[in-house]
Amino acid sequence: MGQCLRYQMHWEDLEEYQALTFLTRNEILCIHDTFLKLCPPGKYYKEATLTMDQVSSLPALRVNPFRDRICRVFSHNGVFSFEDVLGMASVFSEQACPSLKIEYAFRIYDFNENGFIDEEDLQRIILRLLNSDDMSEDLLIDLTNHVLSESDLDNDNMLSFSEFEHAMAKSPDFMNSFRIHFWGC
Amino acid sequence: MAQTPAFIFNVPETPEDQGQEPSPYDESEVHHSFHQLIQEQSQWAAEEGLELQQRVPEADTLGASGSGHQAFLGPEGVPDYSTATLRILASMPSRTIGRSRGAILSQYYNRTVRLRRRSSRPQLRGVGRSARPSLRLYDLELDPMAFQEEEKRILLVKELQGLTVAQRDHMLRGMPLSLAEKRSLREDSWIQKGKQRGPQGRRGLFSCCSRLRYACVLALHNLGLVLLSGLQALTPWRYALKQIGGQFGSSVLSYFLFLKTLLAFNALLLLPLLAFIVGVQAAFPPAPSGSVPAFTGLELLTGGGSFSHSAMYYGYYSNATLNQPCSPPRDGGQCTPDAGGLPYNMPLAYLFTMGVAFFITCITLVYSMSHSFGESYRVGSTSGVHAITVFCSWDYKVTQKWPSRLQQDNIRTQLKELLAEWQLQQGPQSVWGRLRQVAVLGLVWLLCLGTTLGCTMAVYAFSELMIKSPVSAEREWELLALPLVVCLLNLGAPYLYRCLAALERHDSPMLEVYVAICRNLILKMVILAILCYHWLGRRVGALKDQCWENFVGQELYRLMVMDFIFMLLDTLFGELVWRLISERKLKRKGKPEFDIARNVLELIYGQTLTWLGVLFAPLLPAMQIVKLLFLFYVKKTSLVANCRAPRRPWLASHMSTVFISLLCFPSFLGAAIFLCYAIWQVKPSSICGPFRTLNTMYEAGKVWVRHLEKAGPKVSWLPWIHRYLVENTFPIYLVSAVLLAVIYLNIQVVKGQRKVICLLREQISNEGEDKIFLINKLHSVYERKERSRVGRAHEAETPPTLLADEQDAR
Repeated sequence: MGQCLRYQMHWEDLEEYQALTFLTRNEILCIHDTFLKLCPPGKYYKEATLTMDQVSSLPALRVNPFRDRICRVFSHNGVFSFEDVLGMASVFSEQACPSLKIEYAFRIYDFNENGFIDEEDLQRIILRLLNSDDMSEDLLIDLTNHVLSESDLDNDNMLSFSEFEHAMAKSPDFMNSFRIHFWGC
Repeated sequence: MAQTPAFIFNVPETPEDQGQEPSPYDESEVHHSFHQLIQEQSQWAAEEGLELQQRVPEADTLGASGSGHQAFLGPEGVPDYSTATLRILASMPSRTIGRSRGAILSQYYNRTVRLRRRSSRPQLRGVGRSARPSLRLYDLELDPMAFQEEEKRILLVKELQGLTVAQRDHMLRGMPLSLAEKRSLREDSWIQKGKQRGPQGRRGLFSCCSRLRYACVLALHNLGLVLLSGLQALTPWRYALKQIGGQFGSSVLSYFLFLKTLLAFNALLLLPLLAFIVGVQAAFPPAPSGSVPAFTGLELLTGGGSFSHSAMYYGYYSNATLNQPCSPPRDGGQCTPDAGGLPYNMPLAYLFTMGVAFFITCITLVYSMSHSFGESYRVGSTSGVHAITVFCSWDYKVTQKWPSRLQQDNIRTQLKELLAEWQLQQGPQSVWGRLRQVAVLGLVWLLCLGTTLGCTMAVYAFSELMIKSPVSAEREWELLALPLVVCLLNLGAPYLYRCLAALERHDSPMLEVYVAICRNLILKMVILAILCYHWLGRRVGALKDQCWENFVGQELYRLMVMDFIFMLLDTLFGELVWRLISERKLKRKGKPEFDIARNVLELIYGQTLTWLGVLFAPLLPAMQIVKLLFLFYVKKTSLVANCRAPRRPWLASHMSTVFISLLCFPSFLGAAIFLCYAIWQVKPSSICGPFRTLNTMYEAGKVWVRHLEKAGPKVSWLPWIHRYLVENTFPIYLVSAVLLAVIYLNIQVVKGQRKVICLLREQISNEGEDKIFLINKLHSVYERKERSRVGRAHEAETPPTLLADEQDAR
C-alpha cells in the first residue's frame, strides 16, 4: 500500500482497542484504513457507518456461505460502526479464546434467533454449506437426526448453547476453521 | 451451594382450581427452588416486557418441534402455549445465555467474584453456563437482591475494580459484548478507581515520528505476511492434496498424507547420518584399496560395481580415528593432537549416530501415533463426527471462488460417507447366515495363510539356491534374480487375496480393508523375516572372507530398486491399461478403483526396507526420499486420469491412525530388532568397515568406555553409568515395572471417566424430561387461570341481563 494512511485515530483509542480486542496494533490500523476507504469521504471514523451489503462484499466474506448471518450478528441496527467491525475482526482473529468463538458461532448458526439451534436451523446450515438445493429431502432429514441424536443431550430436539459448546470442545477443527484473515495488509 | 430462599408462592387460588387434578401447589415440598425461580422470572418478564415482542411471531416455531413431547395440544394439533408461558420460556437461563446482556453481565459477575475470592469449590468445565441453578455460586439470577440489568452492571463494575489491570483487560476481551459496551465498562471501572485518564494531549494527532515508525512497522508486517504466504505456497503439494480430497474423498487423501509423513521421517533419519557419518568420511576419503571398476549402467540396478567403493555402503568407512594429524608413537601410547586438528573416532561415531537416529525416529513415531490416537478417539464417544462435520467443515479462511467450490465438494462427499456408514450399521442377520459367513471366512483365511506359507518356502528355497551357486563378477545381473522373485510374489499374492476376498461378503467396507491389509502385511513381513535370516544367518557364514555387510547393503538396494520398478509397472498396467481395456474392449464406463490398502502396504514395505538397510548403507534414506517424491507425482497423475473414488464411500477418519500404527509396530519394531541383533550378536567382517577389528559392533562402545576409565577421575561417572545402568539388568526391570504401573493407572482412570460420562448423560436427559414436565404444568396452570378469568368476566356480564329478565318476568 503505497498511499499514505490517514491516522485520524488517537493514541489512547488505539491503546484501548488493542487492550479490549484480540487484534494487534497493526491489524487495527489496517482495519481503520480499509474502513475509511469504504465509508463516505470526509466523515470522522467514529461516526461513519457501513451497510451490511458493504461488509458482505469484503473479500474476506464474499464467498462465505454464512456472510449474511455474520453481518446480522455483529451489526447494530443494521449498520456497522467502526467498533462493530473491530469486534467482528477480533472474534475471528487467531488469538481469540475458544469460548468467545463458540459463543459467536452459536449466534451465527442460530438462524431463527430463538436461542437454540433446532432442526430448521440445522437444515439451513447444511443447505448453505453445500450451496445447492438439490440435496434430497431424506438425506437432509437423516443428517439432521444424526446431529441431534449425537449432540442433543436432554432430548428436546434442539441444541442449546451448552450442548453446542460440548460438541465443539471435542473437535480440534473448530478453532482452526473459525478464523478469518480480514485484511490483506 | 446455592441459597435456597424461603418458599413463598402467591399465585392467588381461584375456587375452580380446587377439586380438579392435583395442582402444582401440592408438589411444593419437592420443587422449592424451581417454584421460586418461576415466580421471579414471571415478575421480571412482567417488568421488562422486552421479550414479548420477539416471542409472539415465533410462537409457531416453538410448536413445530413437538415430536415426541407430551405437549399440550391446541385445536390445530400444535402445542399452543399462552403468552405468559411464552414469556417465561423466553427468559429461561438456557435461552438467555448468549442473547441478553443481563445474563452475560451476571455470568461475568460470577466469574470475577470467583476470581477474587478464589473459591475452592471444584468446578466442572464451563459450569457457569449450566442451566442448573444449584451448580452456580453467587448466582445473580437466584439472588433476590439484584434484579435490574443496571444493578447487575454496577455490581460487575465494582468487581472489575478489584482485579488487576491485566486481569480486567483479559476478562473484558473475552466477553461476548459489543466493543462500545466493553469500552464503557472499562471507563467506568477506571473512573471510579480514581486513576488518571492517561497522558494529556488527547486532542493531538500522531506526531510525525510515530507516523514514520508505524509506516515502517506496517511495511515490515507486509513483508512478513508475504513471506508467510510464500512459505505456505511452498508447503509441498498443498493445493494438490486439497484437489485430491475434493475429488476422491478423504480415504484416498489419507494415502497421500501418509506418503508425505514418510517423507518427513526419511528426512529426519537422513540428517544425522549425513552430518556425522557421510559428510565426515567424504571429507577424509580412505585410500582406495585395489582397483575401482568403471561405471556401467548396471550399477543403478544392482548397486554393486563402482558403487561398492563409494560412500554408499558400510565398507567405505574407516575404522580409525580421523583427522588425527600425528602418527601414534611407537610405544603405543596416546597421541596428543595438534592445535588445529579435532580427532573424530569413526567407529564410535558410526555406532552412536545410528543409535541416536533410530532413537529419534522411534520417539517421533510413538509421538505421532499417540497424537493420532488422541485426535481420532474420544473417551465415551464412539462417533461424534456428524455434529463436528456440519459445524467445523467450512474453512472460513477460504476467500476465493474456486477453492470454495472444492470445499463444497469435499463436504458433500464427507457427508455422504458418514450417512453411508450409518446405513451399513443397520441390518440384522439370521443365525444360519452368520454361520455360513463364519465358515466362508475360515476357509478363505486358511487359503490365504497357505499361500503365504507357499511363498515363504519358495523364497527360502531360492535363497538357498543362490548361496549354493555363487555369482561371478561378470554376471552381476544374476544377483537381481532373488529380488525379482520376491517382488513377483509380493505382486501376485495380493491379487490372489483379492480374488479370495470376493468370496466373503463383509458388511462394512472398513472391515474389508482392514482384513486385506492384515493378510498382505503378514505375507510381506514373513518374507522379510526369511530374508533377514538368510542374510544374517547364512550369508555371514558363506561370505567369510569378503565384506558381507556390503553384500547385505547391496541386496537391500536391489530390493528397493526392484520394488520401485514393480510399483511403476503395477500402476501402469493395473490402472492405465485396465482403464483402456475396460473402455475400448469391454465398452464399460467403469474406471478401476484406487486400491488404498495395497498402496499403503507397499509404502510401509519400502520404508521397512530402508530401515533394515540403513546400518549397512547409510545413504539409503536419500534414495527412499527420491523414490517417494517420484511416486507422489506418478500416483497422483494415474489417480486423476485412470481411477475413480471408492464405490462404497467410507469414512477414513481412523485410517491415518491405523497406518501410523502399522508403520510403528510390525515395520519399525522389526527393523529395530534386526538392527539390535546385527549390532550385538553378529561378528563384523574383518576386511572392511568401521568395526573390522572387533568381535561385535557394540564393542566399539565398550572400548571407548574402557578408554574413558583410564582417562582419569573427571569422567568416571560415564563408565560408572555404563557399568551399573546399561550392563546391569536390574534398572531395566525397575523401569518396566514403573511403566506397567503407570499404564494400569491410566487404564483405570479412563474406565472411571467413561462411567462418569454415562451417568452425567443420564442425568442430563432426566433434566430434560423434568423441564418438559414443568413447562406443561406451567402451561396448564396459566390455562386454568385464563379460563377462570374469562369465566368470571362472562359472569360479570350476565347478571345485569338476568336482572333485566327477572324484572321483565315480574
